[in-house]
Amino acid sequence: MGVVRRVLLDKRVLTGDSIIHRLDPRPKFFFFLWISVLAYVFYDYVLTALFLLVILALAAAAGILRRILLVLAVIVLPGFAFAIPILSVLFPWNETLMFKLHILGFELPLYYEGFTWGLSWPLKIAVCVSSALLFYLTTEPGELIALLFKLRLPYKFIYMVTITLQLIPLLLDEIQTIYQAQLSRGLRTKANPVKRIWNFLALVIPLTLSSLMKVQTRAIALESRGFSAPVRKTCLYDIRLRAGDHLFFSAMIAVTLLLAYLYLLYGFSPIVHLKFYYVAG
Amino acid sequence: MEAVVSFEEFSYSYPTREDVLVDIDFQVHRGEVLGVIGPNGAGKSTLCRCLNGLIPHFYGGRIRGKVIVAGLDTQEHSTAELSMKVGLLFQDPIEQLSGVALTVEEEVGFGLSMLGYPKEVIGERVAEAIERVGLKGLEGRSPYELSGGQQQRLALATVLAMRPEVIALDEPTALLDPIGKYEVFGVLRELASEGSTLMVVEHEIEELAYIADRILLLHGGRILSIDESKRVLSEVSRLKEIGVDPPSVTELTYLLEREVGVALGEYPTTLPEAVRLYGEVLRS
Amino acid sequence: MTEREATAPAARILAVVMIPMIAALNYVGGVLVELTKAPIWGDTWATMLGTLISGLWVGAVGGFLYNIIMAFTVWGLPAWVWGTANIVVALITWICIRMGWDDLRRPWTLIPAFILFGPIYTVYTTMVSILIFGGGPLWKPLPAAIYAAVLKSTGNFWLANYVQNLSTEIPDKWISYIISLLIVSRVPRRFILVRR
Ligand SMILES: Nc1ncnc2c1ncn2[C@@H]1O[C@H](COP(=O)(O)OP(=O)(O)O)[C@@H](O)[C@H]1O
Ligand SMILES: [Mg+2]
Repeated sequence: MGVVRRVLLDKRVLTGDSIIHRLDPRPKFFFFLWISVLAYVFYDYVLTALFLLVILALAAAAGILRRILLVLAVIVLPGFAFAIPILSVLFPWNETLMFKLHILGFELPLYYEGFTWGLSWPLKIAVCVSSALLFYLTTEPGELIALLFKLRLPYKFIYMVTITLQLIPLLLDEIQTIYQAQLSRGLRTKANPVKRIWNFLALVIPLTLSSLMKVQTRAIALESRGFSAPVRKTCLYDIRLRAGDHLFFSAMIAVTLLLAYLYLLYGFSPIVHLKFYYVAG
Repeated sequence: MEAVVSFEEFSYSYPTREDVLVDIDFQVHRGEVLGVIGPNGAGKSTLCRCLNGLIPHFYGGRIRGKVIVAGLDTQEHSTAELSMKVGLLFQDPIEQLSGVALTVEEEVGFGLSMLGYPKEVIGERVAEAIERVGLKGLEGRSPYELSGGQQQRLALATVLAMRPEVIALDEPTALLDPIGKYEVFGVLRELASEGSTLMVVEHEIEELAYIADRILLLHGGRILSIDESKRVLSEVSRLKEIGVDPPSVTELTYLLEREVGVALGEYPTTLPEAVRLYGEVLRS
Repeated sequence: MTEREATAPAARILAVVMIPMIAALNYVGGVLVELTKAPIWGDTWATMLGTLISGLWVGAVGGFLYNIIMAFTVWGLPAWVWGTANIVVALITWICIRMGWDDLRRPWTLIPAFILFGPIYTVYTTMVSILIFGGGPLWKPLPAAIYAAVLKSTGNFWLANYVQNLSTEIPDKWISYIISLLIVSRVPRRFILVRR
């Protein structure tokens, strides 16, 4: 199974103890939202790279750097590999020639505008991906539920999120069983595309049927325990803001002020002074 | 005697199957253990689903008559409301887990948290329920990491924590290994001796004979008999006719009488009883 | 005898579990695609299936929830916008049910569905991929080559994105739609809450 898909499963075995783990989920959650928004407010690859470095430093402190780098390698690195070369040559708003590349007798002019576009966007996404992972991988499931309660979300939504996160590993276990059974009944994994779709069906139909049974029994189990009783639900988990959390919040506010100042002074690209291309234009 | 559960002229058809229960009329009294027996497809599970309003709220279908549980008409009150009055336990312990709790403790507290009880109360009741089913020390485990018998006792604890007036158990040991069965029956015996009101559907008729005050025999959706356990279980030929195995000691006595001509005068239904009766006969 | 249907509270609570199931099945669909190497993305079929079984709202919310959870765990915040694409998928599926564009035995009834899921749906995903994700090439060789070719010949950024997305959305959504119709035809009637 791919690195990315495995992340949601790692949760089952993942319990860490670090400064980051010990933070309250609220500052971590707001940090994730905050830095993702910042990545979109600014269009400046140096600044975005700085954001990424901050996240990776925190990830290192939490002992999950390797994990995050692995995911980035799979879902962001190819972005650079495809976007930078193609856009450096073909971006419609290209005008500043960087240099000409000679390959196989061809002369390929590489332009700055496309290059920076192809560099900046995957970086933005890297910031968003790694900050999400930093939050998720350092927050215990119980803390997550407490967070959702504290955000005053409707309890039905809270439990839908929780049920999804618990269903995924259960369904994956079930897939393993179905897959083994179908293999022994002659399912061939090396096949042409049409056959592969049939294979997909051979797995997905039994999975769906048993899932629908589960929906029924699970709904009955929940309702038999008073799920839809019209009262305010009690949250069984406690979270508390401590000194470290306040410090973290203060740091975010300070940096926000600094960045706001930079923005007012230099605009959305305070370091490398890029121009933004309204792609509609 | 005060009736906690009361079926009144009750008949029921699933949307896709007619007359699954017909003219059901009986009571479960406070403090009583009512055993329910009958062959597969007799309608035992359907009977249980009526207690907390799963029928008709979840299954739909056609209904005549009433089911009253702790004074509430199950057709007029939601399953969630009834969850305080009646606890239901099914065959498969996994199916009864909320699927949102991470530990045994949280699973037991889930129902109370859904009903909005304050945390302190939940804590006390959870500890008490866990203690009663003998899961002490496993509070922090994941429900999925327990053995079958432990899971079923956990499911029982989730029900006990709600302090319902009656608990219905639908073949709670059918999927368990012998050790699991033993563990669960241990808890059931304790509950029975403490005076809990129970309705127990069971194929393990030997175990049922120990705990049941009365037994209801269901066949084809109709009540064939409802009487003291000993009476119902002594009707050996009738039980065998519809495919229910009586306790072995009862059957042995029955066969001795019919084929060897040795009559004890009465049919024992439990081992201690048989030991006493046979002891007397053999000594004389 | 008085006739009863499953009551409204029961239907609501079934939805509370069906929605997470759709979200989880979308996720697991992606894993199955990796396992079988079927030529699709595989993470919208459950949205379609959920809509076919439980109706527009449940399907749409289930699809949306999947993307919300992915956004807050792995894909990063902006990915929640793909949730709106999943709502569009549910909406199209629902329109197809209403209009009867869902009969596998009469394949021509599927043609309007294919048009909605192909050229029309792709307009929406193209907007999202440009406005939220910068509109670069996809990270697969074939679509990226198509993207480069269109960009080179026309110089039109929107068109390049659109054609590139068509090349992936058409096989994915068409096959997913057929697959979810096939599955629904195997699902026992008592699970299906949508009247047709
Ligand atoms: N959900 C259902 N829909 C339709 N028919 C059902 C359903 N559940 C059970 N039945 C039918 O009702 C009858 C009684 O079933 P059940 O109550 O499960 O019996 P028992 O528990 O005694 O084995 C059986 O004929 C069974 O096929
Ligand atoms: Mg049964």
